[in-house]
Amino acid sequence: MIVAQQKPLEEILRMIDPYERIMILGCGTCMTVCGAGGEREVAFLQKALEIAESREGEKHTFIPYTLKRQCDPEFLDLLTDRIEDVDAILSLGCGVGVQALAERFSDLPILPGVDTSFLGMAKEWGVWDERCAACGHCMLGETAGICPITRCAKGILNGPCAGPKGGKCEVDGERDCAWVLIYRRLERLGQLDKMRRFYPPRNFERPKRILRRT
Amino acid sequence: MRAKITTYQDRTLIPPCQAACPLHMRIREYVDLIAQGRIMEALKVIREDNPFPSICAHVCTHPCEEACRRGKVDKPVAIRALKRFAVEFGGDRMVEIEAETRRKEKVAVVGSGPAGMACAYYLRRLGYPVTIFEAHSEPGGMLRVGIPRYRLPREIVQREFDRLIRMGVELRLNTRVVSLDLLFEMGYQAVFVTIGAHQGLRLGIEGEEGPGVVDGATFLREVNLGLKPLLGEKVGVVGGGNVAIDAARTALRLGAKEVRVLYRRGPEEMPASEAEVQQAKEEGVQFDYLVAPLRIERERNKLKVICIRMKLGEPDSSGRRRPVPIEGSEFPLMLDTLIVAIGQAPQLPEDFRLRIGKGATIHVDPVSLATNRPGVFAGGDAVTGPATVVEALAVGKRAAFRIDDYLNHRYPVPEKEARPVVGDLLPETIAMIRKISRMDPPHLPPEVRVKEFVPVEMVYGWEEAIKEARRCLKCGAGAEIFSRDRCASCLTCLRVCPYHVPRLNGTGEVEIPADQCQACGICVAQCPAKVIILRKPQDRRQIAEELNHLARYGPSKPMMVGFCCQYGLYGTGVLSGLYREKKAGVYIIPVSCVGKVEAEHLLEAFRLGAEGVFVAGCGDQCSREDTALWLGRRIEKVRESLGEMGLEPERIKLFMPGEGRDLLEDLRDFSQKVAGLYLASLVRQEVKYDSCPTEAFGRDPTHDRPL
Repeated sequence: MIVAQQKPLEEILRMIDPYERIMILGCGTCMTVCGAGGEREVAFLQKALEIAESREGEKHTFIPYTLKRQCDPEFLDLLTDRIEDVDAILSLGCGVGVQALAERFSDLPILPGVDTSFLGMAKEWGVWDERCAACGHCMLGETAGICPITRCAKGILNGPCAGPKGGKCEVDGERDCAWVLIYRRLERLGQLDKMRRFYPPRNFERPKRILRRT
Repeated sequence: MRAKITTYQDRTLIPPCQAACPLHMRIREYVDLIAQGRIMEALKVIREDNPFPSICAHVCTHPCEEACRRGKVDKPVAIRALKRFAVEFGGDRMVEIEAETRRKEKVAVVGSGPAGMACAYYLRRLGYPVTIFEAHSEPGGMLRVGIPRYRLPREIVQREFDRLIRMGVELRLNTRVVSLDLLFEMGYQAVFVTIGAHQGLRLGIEGEEGPGVVDGATFLREVNLGLKPLLGEKVGVVGGGNVAIDAARTALRLGAKEVRVLYRRGPEEMPASEAEVQQAKEEGVQFDYLVAPLRIERERNKLKVICIRMKLGEPDSSGRRRPVPIEGSEFPLMLDTLIVAIGQAPQLPEDFRLRIGKGATIHVDPVSLATNRPGVFAGGDAVTGPATVVEALAVGKRAAFRIDDYLNHRYPVPEKEARPVVGDLLPETIAMIRKISRMDPPHLPPEVRVKEFVPVEMVYGWEEAIKEARRCLKCGAGAEIFSRDRCASCLTCLRVCPYHVPRLNGTGEVEIPADQCQACGICVAQCPAKVIILRKPQDRRQIAEELNHLARYGPSKPMMVGFCCQYGLYGTGVLSGLYREKKAGVYIIPVSCVGKVEAEHLLEAFRLGAEGVFVAGCGDQCSREDTALWLGRRIEKVRESLGEMGLEPERIKLFMPGEGRDLLEDLRDFSQKVAGLYLASLVRQEVKYDSCPTEAFGRDPTHDRPL
């Protein structure tokens, strides 16, 4: 799932300043699950913006709406009737949603309301961790299902570095060293030989389009 | 986007108490109102389904409490005692029922017991002229001649009859109906026969005829009609039902020194109400279980009752274990009086010509309540054999509508409840529910009560009643996912529920089992897709409606908004005083539990112009788990947001009793602080815009309409 967090109110206020009628558009998929841009956040943001504006003496009109998904053109078609007199869309969708909107509505400014942060998962209520960098060359099979790209601060493929102390990362003492975790899990699985292999530098080339038309 | 239908639709399930009540009273609703201290509204809800709540408040056998799911957690909610509290404090004696005659068909009710009363009440409401015929000199049937005064004071019954008479019911006392033909000749178009079961059954043993032996119903009737039978010092009562207990306790009050109840089965099999037995024991009534009289001999003025001990054998047709005599265990018992209270049967005048069913009762059609004679309906003990007051009221009510059907030539439609009944609590859920001990209303001490026929049970005080009412689990009024399509399956509800009720079903869909949900509202306020709603319309609309009201008619600024828990004395006592301070700019939004206050609600208050917002919860008094914890998190979220808006985070505050000092003092401090912030902001605005301070806020003018 894509995880994001809402932009600071100040930044949003600056972005929407030139426009009068603004649609706050939530996304009913990842942004709802990660609590950054579902129907509740749309309502909360609208009220927060209205209060902030009333202090500044400015006035915009907000139209709240939430789509099931912003990253597919067919869903965006549902907006056509609603945006006739809208000056801009403040999208609480991820970066994909913002761009999909921009592609679909070529004459309308689309503003990002959230900072798309990573692909991750919920650890518990209200806590999300990054898990995948979408690097295009998954090597989780070699690393006991623990991703060194996202979870190692240095993203190294032949770890650990010389830094970990007591199983914790030298960059962030709160964080577990990914390579220690990988070692422990390989040990459990009886696959420590995978530790001894050398992995060549990773290929940074990734597909920009996937075709599956057969 | 949100389906309109859900706004006002009641989507609750029927709670078990309501399902168990023969009158299907909306117990969950009125108990909730009592918990909020809204006693008059509670009485109104009670009166919707029960024509004589004051009677039920005293003597109902409360099948609702037997069904109460709280009973699985600790002890059932004291529903009957709460009803009594609502009746006494809600002003029931002031209630007048409007009834006007709109029909010309006259209806006769034979018997003025609870079934007859209820039937007459509803027939009057339907507009029929009604006459009640009563053979005794006092109206009320078993309420008057069966139930002793210490359980149901006479004034209560009299008050209900006064009210019936003011409704236009004609009451003919000392009038025994011997022939139904005569009633039809008198012009009555329909007759409801509810003559009760006043004929005491006999033991059928040697020596039963003769002085010193009396049946329970006759004994109670004589005492209740003002006679004072001489019982002597030692009294025995045969039987294990409520009449036996009533007779035993009445005998004590008439001055008997020793009263013993002889019952042929064990204490578990005894049909009498447990509380009654307990009270009888407190008063000194002795219970001899597994004992039955064999024959009665007379020695001088005394009775020598030869009894035999019993043991329990195989279960009989009633499911209870059949008592079997133990050979050679006979023993004598010397008594002055023996009261036989082993059951009653109706005594039907022969000329009624009604078809008789099992046990000398009247045979009726179960749906239409019609007898074999056209226009003659029957109900109550005369049909069922001795039963309870609430069952009689229910059948009387039904009879009124069936008679209405008959007189309108309508085919009776069986009543069917569309909504399902709540199921059982799972042990996992029970383990999570907070245990709160039941608080029964106080009773007179046994030494005092055996001397007189004064009422034994007293009424709750406000504090006790509200505490007791708060124990209600609100079965069936929980949360539900009303739009599956918009549910993102984010699992927030699973993670926030203090009772671990929401779950994933086999196909990976989130479910909130209605049988288990405790209606705390936390998931409703946390769901990021806003697809969870409370099943009860009032619960889901209350805060939004209050905020709308505030937007329209709220005080002019500057103002402060407080979201205040309505439960407990905290809600009804301290904070209700604040309402009067509306002039001072404090606007109170009553909430049924602060766990239901959403972050947007708090922001909305600021949007409407509040300078400060506070939430007052009930703290440890809350019968639900984690409500304050989650509210605290929402307040934190709003605080952060306020900071970003350029407002001081101190403008929002949470109050809980037990923390800090007196709530009102804390509030005063808080409002002073808010006032300071307000003034500071005015100065800032003035400097910034150099304009009129009152215009400085530049709010939407529609929100600033003064009162």
